[in-house]
Amino acid sequence: MLLSAGSFIVRAQTEPPDTVEIPLKIRIGAEVTGPVIYLTDNNNLNAEGFISADLNERWGVFLGAGYSDFRYSQYNYEYLSKGLFLKAGVDINFLRPEKAMGKYWAGIGLRYGLSSFTYEVPVFEFENYWGTITSSIPSSDYLGHYLEASPGFKAEMFRNFSMGWSVNIRRLIYTGAGKDLRPIYFPGYGSGGETISYGISYYLMWNIPYKKINVLVKKEEPEETEETGESEIR
Amino acid sequence: MKSFRTNFLAVVFIVTILKVVSCTPESCLEETVAEMKIPFYLSSTQKNIAPDSLTIYGIHNESNKLYNSTKNANRADLPLNPSAESCSFVIRINGVSDTILLTYDSYAHFISKECGYTYYHTIDSLAFTKNMIDTIIIKNRFVTTVNEENFRILY
Repeated sequence: MLLSAGSFIVRAQTEPPDTVEIPLKIRIGAEVTGPVIYLTDNNNLNAEGFISADLNERWGVFLGAGYSDFRYSQYNYEYLSKGLFLKAGVDINFLRPEKAMGKYWAGIGLRYGLSSFTYEVPVFEFENYWGTITSSIPSSDYLGHYLEASPGFKAEMFRNFSMGWSVNIRRLIYTGAGKDLRPIYFPGYGSGGETISYGISYYLMWNIPYKKINVLVKKEEPEETEETGESEIR
Repeated sequence: MKSFRTNFLAVVFIVTILKVVSCTPESCLEETVAEMKIPFYLSSTQKNIAPDSLTIYGIHNESNKLYNSTKNANRADLPLNPSAESCSFVIRINGVSDTILLTYDSYAHFISKECGYTYYHTIDSLAFTKNMIDTIIIKNRFVTTVNEENFRILY
């Protein structure tokens, strides 16, 4: 009896638990590369923040919003655009619960983006056989749509404070401006002349734990080894 | 923690470099002027044959010839005036002159970030004299930078 009790204690101390307690969190974050770039190039401001909430150890919902002010000029035209964008979607954590523990996230965010913006071309120059024309395209409002996939990582650095980065791959649905006057840049998406755009984001996040759940840990199956007659003899 | 801070600075550095590189103006390598593409066909054989001599200029722009006694031109590319709603060209084929008058609408078109904006046109009407020209067949009313035939001149 003592022996069997002793073996039970040893088993309880050495075997991993069947479940882990995962804190579900609401995260409020800010993207920092936009303001950093603005310090070096004050023609382009991109400010973005988000709120996300864990639904369980794998899935979360995401809502982001931002503001962009973009200016560009070259020898034959000037371009200005500014506006707001909203992004909504899901975050999927690929880390196993016992590795993530509510602190680490490695996965992908899938989002739909909506951008409400204005753009204008204050001046553009056109030259052909008939001479040089200086013209402009007046400011108008547009509504653009896109899809975004954002693989990345997040890690809790201090209690309830995380950092993370993601690579953003965006697929244009519609710029809102027709095929002749596609915007050079539209907020949230990037280059309106391209059907795919890329970006990198770096986030600082404040985490608010709101619930704890117990998640069953899948135990790794021990590797099966074929025992030979020779080894049995030894 | 330390590695994450290093990571953070590295990402900010890389993003800044990428942004600076992406903002460096690149060369415009695309076609920037929309022109009417007009091949010449011999009406007797219906074959695309260049006139022995071809001279074309715009009316009110006589001193600046688009083609000046050009040989072996089996197609003419003619630009329209975006600041007007009509324009006329004198087309002299083998020493015999004709005039064509076009009315059209012009609208701005974005080419690319590198090239900027151009004008495209939609042809409304076409009139012409028949000294050397037999007929003109309209193939495509939309005048763009795309290499597509707009009219066919039979002479």
